[in-house]
Amino acid sequence: MIGRTLDHYRILAQIGEGGMGVVYRARDEVLNRDVALKLLGKGALEKVGPGHLLREAQTASSLSHPNICTIHQVGETGNDFYVVMELIEGRSLSDLITATGLSMETVTRYGTQIADALAHAHDRGIVHRDLKGSNVMVTPEGRVKVLDFGLATRLEREEISELTLSHSSLESKLVGTLPYMAPEVLRGQKGDYLSDVWSLGVLLYEAAAGKLPFRGNTGFEVTSAILRETPPPLPSTVPYGLAAVIQRCLMKERAGRYQRATEVRAALETVQGAVLQSRHPSEETRGPRTLVLRGMEHLSVKNGDVLLLVGTNKGAFFLRSSRDRSKWDVAGPYFHGQGIYAMAYDGRSGRHRLWVSANNVMWGAFLRSSDDFGRIWTNPLEASIRFPTESGASLRNIWQICLGREDEPEKLYCGVEPAALFESRDDGESWSLVRGLYDHPHRPRWMPGNGGLILHTILPDPSNKDRMYVAVSAGGVYRTEDAGGTWLARNNGVRVVFQPEKYPEFGQCVHKIALHELRPERLFLQNHWGLYRSDNRGDSWQDIAHGVPSDFGFAMLMHPHDADSVYIVPVESDEFRCTPEGHLRVYRTRNAGGSWEALSRGLPQKGAYETVLRDALSSDSLDPAGIYFGTRSGKIYGSKNEGKSWKKIVEGLPQILCVKAAVVHMDGAPSANATLKSRITKKRKSVRTKRLRRGKSD
Amino acid sequence: MQVLFKIPGPLQEFTGKQSAVCVEVEAGANLLQVLQALFVEYPGLRDRVLTETGETRRHVNIFVGNENVRYTGGLATAVSAGAQVSIVPAITGG
Repeated sequence: MIGRTLDHYRILAQIGEGGMGVVYRARDEVLNRDVALKLLGKGALEKVGPGHLLREAQTASSLSHPNICTIHQVGETGNDFYVVMELIEGRSLSDLITATGLSMETVTRYGTQIADALAHAHDRGIVHRDLKGSNVMVTPEGRVKVLDFGLATRLEREEISELTLSHSSLESKLVGTLPYMAPEVLRGQKGDYLSDVWSLGVLLYEAAAGKLPFRGNTGFEVTSAILRETPPPLPSTVPYGLAAVIQRCLMKERAGRYQRATEVRAALETVQGAVLQSRHPSEETRGPRTLVLRGMEHLSVKNGDVLLLVGTNKGAFFLRSSRDRSKWDVAGPYFHGQGIYAMAYDGRSGRHRLWVSANNVMWGAFLRSSDDFGRIWTNPLEASIRFPTESGASLRNIWQICLGREDEPEKLYCGVEPAALFESRDDGESWSLVRGLYDHPHRPRWMPGNGGLILHTILPDPSNKDRMYVAVSAGGVYRTEDAGGTWLARNNGVRVVFQPEKYPEFGQCVHKIALHELRPERLFLQNHWGLYRSDNRGDSWQDIAHGVPSDFGFAMLMHPHDADSVYIVPVESDEFRCTPEGHLRVYRTRNAGGSWEALSRGLPQKGAYETVLRDALSSDSLDPAGIYFGTRSGKIYGSKNEGKSWKKIVEGLPQILCVKAAVVHMDGAPSANATLKSRITKKRKSVRTKRLRRGKSD
Repeated sequence: MQVLFKIPGPLQEFTGKQSAVCVEVEAGANLLQVLQALFVEYPGLRDRVLTETGETRRHVNIFVGNENVRYTGGLATAVSAGAQVSIVPAITGG
């Protein structure tokens, strides 16, 4: 070929060879510049036909982006079909990646440019389909250029099946392609935007670790790893944020991945900011990510599944069911031997993050999180929740993890022992003590209850960003109206039994408070003796213990959709903290405390001396709502009809400290909460419409 | 001088899986100074051995040689060259 001329391109030298054909350096005799000319192989042409390739190349030639190799011309002369492209002097990314990977700054800088190139192409309906290290060039100035958009030959079904079942060593052109292929492509689907996002994840992993995420000696082994295995943990030098981005690109479930390349770019830009600030706190405090495997099967969670997060005094368990909530898979114990006092599922902003407060009796309490339903956990080097040195306090336990409001998806709160509130404004990366509460003049006079001096309940007012309630045992209820700057004790009418003054301003041993987003001005309170409601944001409280066997109890739960329905599990007394007379009964009011009914169908009514602790009662967001509770004796009961009847879901667990239910929504699927909200709104509207109509006809 | 630390299993995640690590400190250093040198090398250990206020966690015992430092002056205990310091979880349960 050397020396030949195609159209007005004189072939100067061969510069590469790949599955698609041979690449030459050529001289454009008209414009007097050097170009790259790819002469497409006969195989590629025969497979898809020159017409198809021509169309794809023409479409790709419409792309104009600094990180995409420009296609100048596509053409054929005689039997030759060729593509003329911008000549890029540089090295391919696959050549640049060393055995230990690239620096994190480099990975994010290159990754951002590749994601930007993909985003540009995807916006124009063009999918790459063969993104890999050898298709990404880096110029001496550090600019990334992605090659061969739209030029990838589609692998036919038979070829894929031959490749994936092959037990011989990987060879041929597919050596470079197979490890980047998305699971759905291996199953025979056509590559699309989401499979490009997957390939980008593979590339980022490879660049960060120096190794491919899915490895094997044969096609079968590589395929099997892609379809089934979790990639080996990234080196500890990879910042958590970058690892999370890679992990999300590599979600086997398509719905779990970033749905657009622009999202990957944005995420990488955020990480880039953090990596560039070399003394960023998250960098300093990031520890090894821990793969928690004790021969257990992790949960395989799908869109729409219901999750139960169960904290016990000896570890965490996760349960999963489909929406029918009749059969549950159980995984655990995670954090073997540690006390799990607080858990949360954060599904805001497309996340799928589990939060766990793990208290090791020897080594202390740490906040841990997982973005893959429990396979890999963060393990911070430094405790992320810590009292400032000058406070003289040290953290004993984390009792509550509370998500910020829906429209503040980066906010989280924790309630801890000794009683204090911590706030994070960056997804839990860093935390600060809420000084307004910690410096409150009442605090030195708060008294520890049986569980210690703890801040156990946090209720952000969904209708007002500046208002929040916390409950301290034994300090009482406090409210802020200025986002935590100042706090007022709100305990008027709540009785105490352990001191001469029965109605003090503060010092109440409140066990739980609850509010509903549809009526945020109204609060319910389960006290250490006493059940109360406040209709004025806690300014005053009235007794609502009408028709309960005991007004002593710990747990209290709002119905997720009905602002008048509240659930409690009374126990007999302060001294005998078990269900009265051995009857395990949940009590519910449907009229905001006007009256209570026992819900016992399916629950043991003889010899059941159980205790349900303050955080061990929870609901999912489905309709009808699922209600769940765990007992100190290690049983979990659930009702899928709002408490009408119950079933034992599991028994034999260690002492249950907390239960949190959640419905998982993968990206793109409407959230059940949102669906339900819109249904509730519609229902209300239709009621209003009916009333109006009736009004008219009357 | 060099001091050898024995690291318990649950903390080896923070020492690159090593059960014993050596740190170099100036001669005459006390236990706190030796620990600080250890924490510079292996920052994940600090918050797991000490509280924010700098006290040894309640259920963690530190031995210099065979002596529990709770009885020999706590973190001010003198450490001699070549000493072995063991971080050991206390007897506990529940």
